Amino acid sequence: MNTNSNAYTIIYSTIVVVVVAAALAFVAMTLKPKQEANIKAETISQMLSAAQFASKEDLTALGNENILKMYSEKIVNAFTIDAQGNKVRDLETQGSNIELADNLKAQNYNIKDGSSVELPVYVFEKDGRNVNVVPVYGAGLWGPVWGYIAFNADCSEIVGAYFDHDSETPGLGAKIKDEAWFREQFAGKRINFDNPDNPFNIVKGGVPQGEEGASMVDAISGATMTCNGLDAAIDIWMKAYIPFLSAKAAAARETECNCGGEGCEEHSCGDTCTGNCTGAEEHSCTGSCTGTCTGTCGSSCGVTNTKAEEE
Amino acid sequence: MNENLKNTILNPIFKGNPISVLVLGICSSLAVTVQLKGACVMALSVIAVTGLSSFVVSLLRNTIPNRVRIIVQLVVVALMVILVDQFLKAYAYSIDKQLSVYIGLIITNCIVMGRIEAFALGNKPGVSLLDGLANGAGYGMILVIVAFFRELLGSGTLFGFRVLPESYIPNNLVILPPMALILLGCIVWIQRSIQKDLQEK
Repeated sequence: MNTNSNAYTIIYSTIVVVVVAAALAFVAMTLKPKQEANIKAETISQMLSAAQFASKEDLTALGNENILKMYSEKIVNAFTIDAQGNKVRDLETQGSNIELADNLKAQNYNIKDGSSVELPVYVFEKDGRNVNVVPVYGAGLWGPVWGYIAFNADCSEIVGAYFDHDSETPGLGAKIKDEAWFREQFAGKRINFDNPDNPFNIVKGGVPQGEEGASMVDAISGATMTCNGLDAAIDIWMKAYIPFLSAKAAAARETECNCGGEGCEEHSCGDTCTGNCTGAEEHSCTGSCTGTCTGTCGSSCGVTNTKAEEE
Repeated sequence: MNENLKNTILNPIFKGNPISVLVLGICSSLAVTVQLKGACVMALSVIAVTGLSSFVVSLLRNTIPNRVRIIVQLVVVALMVILVDQFLKAYAYSIDKQLSVYIGLIITNCIVMGRIEAFALGNKPGVSLLDGLANGAGYGMILVIVAFFRELLGSGTLFGFRVLPESYIPNNLVILPPMALILLGCIVWIQRSIQKDLQEK
């Protein structure tokens, strides 16, 4: 047979491509459940790592089964919220049915313009206190970057973060994952609720001395594009989460005011203290009531307290 | 024939090593040798890809139309690389993540195409399989040697276990790719001082 004729070449190429495509499709379908289980365990271990339960390496070493078990043990509840911060539905958190809302895209226009979205919130319990973990997704230099940011019980402060990427340059952009100092910077920082368009900054060249702020961290040298992408990701996603986060923080403040120390005792705990402590004037709550309230709460106050935390 | 077979297997490992003598596949050997574990998985992946693609192309060698030869070879190599990647994603996910793009980049590794063009197209499937495996092994051997020194001196560990005492301060230069190039240079130097016939006059 003449293997150099046009017809032969075309038919041969077609057959080769079809056979190869069929083989790949078959293998991809067969291995998919296993791969998805791996990705799920990986996602969960990133969340647990962000919430400071253990380092990512230790979690990975536990194996898929134990990661899922640990998640079921530590989780308080998981739910999705809409762009106004209202709860939409609960996510399954137990056993083999663990449900994650992780199919979110970096360039989600609904997130950018704040229309119909379902944003996941994962609430874990660590050392008796709640930790709220939320995701961020964005575009790095070569591919997607994403991460999880963990907030304390009232969402006023970041307690930890974990970032990962698909294909950033090893040694440069990949440092958002590899360098522990980068994610450790986030602990103790705050999201600036008052500026929803730019609630957090990753500063190229490092935060200048004397200008350190609660909402900025140093960028990584040689990874400007990756850091810019991550910065944009945090901005977009935190903007969408701000209604939820700030409501949570406000609720926590309200609890403090109600159970305030000096000047507040004469008021029954049911009194609503709108906004922050300045609003407390309407029931003669002095400014000093924030911060001093814990410990002096009456029994009835405790009820309000727990209620606010549950919400 | 027996002598030939022996040469097919042993030649790529020492005398005609793809990295230290032919200087192919340098890029990935710089990138994945920071840790021994990653280097071992990379070595096994390359062995699987070179062996299987040489085997398959050798099976097809009499039917492949000459004009689309390279494209057919590339399709076969790409198939093997994606299969390896899929299996790693299913059974060694954390290592697959660590090796990231480099598994996919085996496609561009000159060793694979080089052996198909130079050997598999003109030899029977069995011998081609051995040739592919041996070349992969020659590549993998250098990778493991470089990774051994880089992990030992750069992190003080081997396979993630601490070997050097805590008082050892890890040498950060060893972690960076230039040091892999220097180590490769040392390997070439040692090999050429043993095998005098490799030295250029």
